[in-house]
Amino acid sequence: MTAPLLEIEGVSKRFGGLSALSDVTAHVAQGEIVGLIGPNGAGKTTLFSTLVGLHRPNAGTIRLNGKNLVGLKPHKVAAAGMVKTFQNIALFLDSTVLDNVLIGGLMRHSVEDARDLARRCLDRVGIGAIADKFAHNLSFPERARVEVARALCTEPQILLLDEAMAALNPVEMDEFLKLLRDLRGEGLTLVVVEHHMRAIMSLCERIIVLNFGQVIATGTPREVSRDPDVVRAYLGRSAA
Amino acid sequence: MRLGLSQRQAALIALALVVAIALPFAFDARGYTIRILCLGLLFAAMAQAWNIVGGLANQMSLGHAAFFGIGAYTSTLLLIHFGISPWLGLIASGVLGGVAAFAISLPTMRLRGHYFALATLAFGEVMRVIGNSWSELTGGPVGISVPFAKPSFAMFQFADTRTYYWLMLAAFIVVTAVFVAIKRSRTGYRLQAIKENADAAEVIGVDTTRTKIIAAIVSGALTACLGTFYAQFQYFFDPDTVFGVASVSIRVAMIAIVGGIGTAVGPLLGALFVIPLEEAANQVFSAQVAGLAQLVFGTLLIIVILVEPRGFIVLWQRLVARRKPGAPS
Repeated sequence: MTAPLLEIEGVSKRFGGLSALSDVTAHVAQGEIVGLIGPNGAGKTTLFSTLVGLHRPNAGTIRLNGKNLVGLKPHKVAAAGMVKTFQNIALFLDSTVLDNVLIGGLMRHSVEDARDLARRCLDRVGIGAIADKFAHNLSFPERARVEVARALCTEPQILLLDEAMAALNPVEMDEFLKLLRDLRGEGLTLVVVEHHMRAIMSLCERIIVLNFGQVIATGTPREVSRDPDVVRAYLGRSAA
Repeated sequence: MRLGLSQRQAALIALALVVAIALPFAFDARGYTIRILCLGLLFAAMAQAWNIVGGLANQMSLGHAAFFGIGAYTSTLLLIHFGISPWLGLIASGVLGGVAAFAISLPTMRLRGHYFALATLAFGEVMRVIGNSWSELTGGPVGISVPFAKPSFAMFQFADTRTYYWLMLAAFIVVTAVFVAIKRSRTGYRLQAIKENADAAEVIGVDTTRTKIIAAIVSGALTACLGTFYAQFQYFFDPDTVFGVASVSIRVAMIAIVGGIGTAVGPLLGALFVIPLEEAANQVFSAQVAGLAQLVFGTLLIIVILVEPRGFIVLWQRLVARRKPGAPS
């Protein structure tokens, strides 16, 4: 078996007296779509922020292609090939869609080349037509796609999506899921935090469940949805 | 076109340039008006240099007097002690200004908003105190005079105020060109992203600290060079003038803000408003009650900011938009 693309080993993160992550270990293989679920406050967003270097873990290692990322600033993590989108969507609202996306390309390209790449990324996520709109004028589904395009423009190996589908209606969500499957088909590795169970169960072949900052289960959607710990902690009566 | 200007814009800029170059012939070459115009252009250039940090990176520096004073003292001391031409002094000023900006950026650029403003304010004040107390070097509070030789280009000294006017105009154009070049470069796009959301920019690969430090170094170096221009224009200055919070730091920030922060035209509009207004207020009111001139000046500025907080540039854009219906503002 080849070494996993992303190796998270014993990662802990404390904020003052609060333990947000304790001894989290998880692996993601090249080309996987992995779901990350858990109740509110379980540490999903904290884990993503720690992975990309916005927080420095108190313990543990994070390896991408065998290279330790702990202590690197987020832009170095992006250069290594891992980016995340933001839970509340953090676009550059006073810039055009194209200018939002091309920032991601500046890491490896000139402004002109980044602009070309940004157009391709916008076409890739199906919103090439709105390239010249200002970000503050966009609908929620459009914003979610701009975030994805901007992340793609950094040419990542692995993309962490933090509730990118939160504001989407069921039809928009199905379209978004198709986009994620297509991206995966092109070789991108994805880790997805999502509250919509239907979406995550249909999208991911493996799911990691967090509760109180700890991994309580890992497995296929079927396995974790039958795991008694998961049912107790998270899914509740309706899914059991 | 490489510059990305419309024909209309290019024509407008060419026309403005011709008018600006010809303007001194309309005034008495040794008169008062042309000196005000010189100061106006110098402060427009300083506000433009400040604009690189304050406008593009949105870091409200209130310490730019530090770089300005470093520049004024560097070239003047090199001239006094070693007879070095202020043109070479200009280069030394730029280097020292850039180094000072780098040094102060390392601890302050991680600060945001008010904390950055206060830290830079303190830096400017420290430089003023040093200037006043290190008398062996600076001459202390009594100030320092630039030794006057016979007028020559080589020594950056001229009898005709018009020559200074054209130099100040050239300085403004150069600083503006640097501002525009940065704004359109990778650094400019990165600064825009940092301004709007620093965390998001960092996560998609922008080295936010490095980008802001680059902006600070360019801004500090240019401001220091302009300090040399000021010294060669005034022939006399003291620490309270060149390192002053009100006389330099706040005035420069205010000019950029009143004119239109982050825009290339804003500093010029701001300087052409603020500097003459200040002079006019002094002329009309200073003979009456002490402090009245400053009160009138301050009140007018407050009114301007209340009417249009985004600066004169917005009034200008509205005017253009009205003439061309449907055009974006």
